[in-house]
Amino acid sequence: MSSSRFTPKGFPSVPLQNGIGRYICQLKRVTLRFCKSSGSSRGVRDFIETELISFAQDHPGTVVYLKPRRHKSPSFVAEYLNGEREVISCHNFSSHEMIKWLNLYATRSGIPLKRYLKMWHTECPSIQGVWSPFTNMDPALNITQFPSKKLSNPVWEEKSATEELLEKVKQQKISSDDENDDDNTHSNRAAQV
Amino acid sequence: MVFTTAMMLVRSRGPDEFWRKRKIFKIAAHFSGRRRNCYSIAIKAVHRALQFATIGRALRKSDMIVLWNTRIRAGCEEHGIELNTFKEGLSRCDIQLNKKVLADLAIWEPSTFKALSDLSKSVSIDYELPGSEKYNVPTNVVTRGLLKK
Amino acid sequence: MSQFGRVKQWNTFARCWHLFDATWQNPLQCSPLIEKYLKGLHKPIYHPFVDCGDHVVIMNSKQIAFPGEEWRRRVYFHHTGYSGGASWTPAWELHEKDPTMIFRKAVYHYMKGNLFRRVVMERLHIYPDSNVPEEIMENITNQIQPLRPIPKTLDSYSNEEIEKYPKIIDYPQDYLLSK
Repeated sequence: MSSSRFTPKGFPSVPLQNGIGRYICQLKRVTLRFCKSSGSSRGVRDFIETELISFAQDHPGTVVYLKPRRHKSPSFVAEYLNGEREVISCHNFSSHEMIKWLNLYATRSGIPLKRYLKMWHTECPSIQGVWSPFTNMDPALNITQFPSKKLSNPVWEEKSATEELLEKVKQQKISSDDENDDDNTHSNRAAQV
Repeated sequence: MVFTTAMMLVRSRGPDEFWRKRKIFKIAAHFSGRRRNCYSIAIKAVHRALQFATIGRALRKSDMIVLWNTRIRAGCEEHGIELNTFKEGLSRCDIQLNKKVLADLAIWEPSTFKALSDLSKSVSIDYELPGSEKYNVPTNVVTRGLLKK
Repeated sequence: MSQFGRVKQWNTFARCWHLFDATWQNPLQCSPLIEKYLKGLHKPIYHPFVDCGDHVVIMNSKQIAFPGEEWRRRVYFHHTGYSGGASWTPAWELHEKDPTMIFRKAVYHYMKGNLFRRVVMERLHIYPDSNVPEEIMENITNQIQPLRPIPKTLDSYSNEEIEKYPKIIDYPQDYLLSK
């Protein structure tokens, strides 16, 4: 809860758009330190005997160093292209665990671990351009003299009773005109109603 | 912990005092004054803070819903359509975008949002939804009544 | 942030000025509309903590309309803080003293009371008539359309229009129409 305030935080990122078009392994150097005799280094020794060659062949961009040190606990140091360096203790690791840990550090970007604020991130959030007050503005407003007569009316006006009556009178007038087209006197009387 | 007798189980007060308190102090690390350093004060503050955190988890969701609705309503009214008609029109076209995505579209991709509102407007005119008599028929959407099911 | 990015941000958060003609408008019904523009609720980028509201210039606030008995019945309360310092002013009296006050109070009381309210109210400019200062008028980029149409008075009809208007009854010769 509170510890999240003190840990570094940020968004997922990659160095130099790695993985888009080409991929460069960011791990530049691995230094394995182990003891030739002690039991805690046994897994590391097994790993060196059986798996190390294939690991080095799989990662041609990574230099692998071996540092036998008498009576020392085994560990390896992973160094990255961005200058980051991490030391991992492999005390009592089996050969299998060594493969797993080395694979993990070979696939990392070297950017220090952080708490992700969001699991997704984009450098370019908008394709069409961010909304602004002028995006959907009517360009006619640029040359309008304020206060404008047209904009002084409501957006939507419901027909008033007077207007509806006037319209009905108009309709009646037209229909009665059609009926009594020949008789002018009748139509005049109807218009007065 | 291994308890040799039942009596020891009763008397045991959990893990070591240091670790028990450290758990609380870790949560209280960003508090101010003695609420951070004195255990008896810190524990009260932590209980209070955790209660607020529990309530806040529900509040955050409802706050976001209100915010998204406000943003979508603003986007809709810019194009002359009400929020409810907009949503109804979209659901009748089987466009299943949620509030978050619609609010994001209104901000970040305004042309897409305008297209959605135009579509929703013409669908609501086709269905003669209440309030659709106020809308001008959008010229860039041709439905010929085909969207009506 | 890059130079261009900063300009884009200025563009997005640009403050606009809106004009509102209060002639024949009910201030109590207009206040939600005005509040929307003052707080920036009409923008999709709205967030309660972001200061993204616009300016609203209200003119002709002397011409506002109240329904029914509202001018007499609506009473504004004030207390000086001293004992016996309470006073009740009817709306018509307040409107005579300050024609902008009723509109300002309507908008102020409609908004939820929080620390932003007074800041937001600073962006509301009310003028009793159409004489808005030039330096304010030149900022305006938009006009808020009113809620209700301005009714046409009998004086504004021309004689020809009155003649053409359909009649239901004929007044008797001796009937007096008061002007």
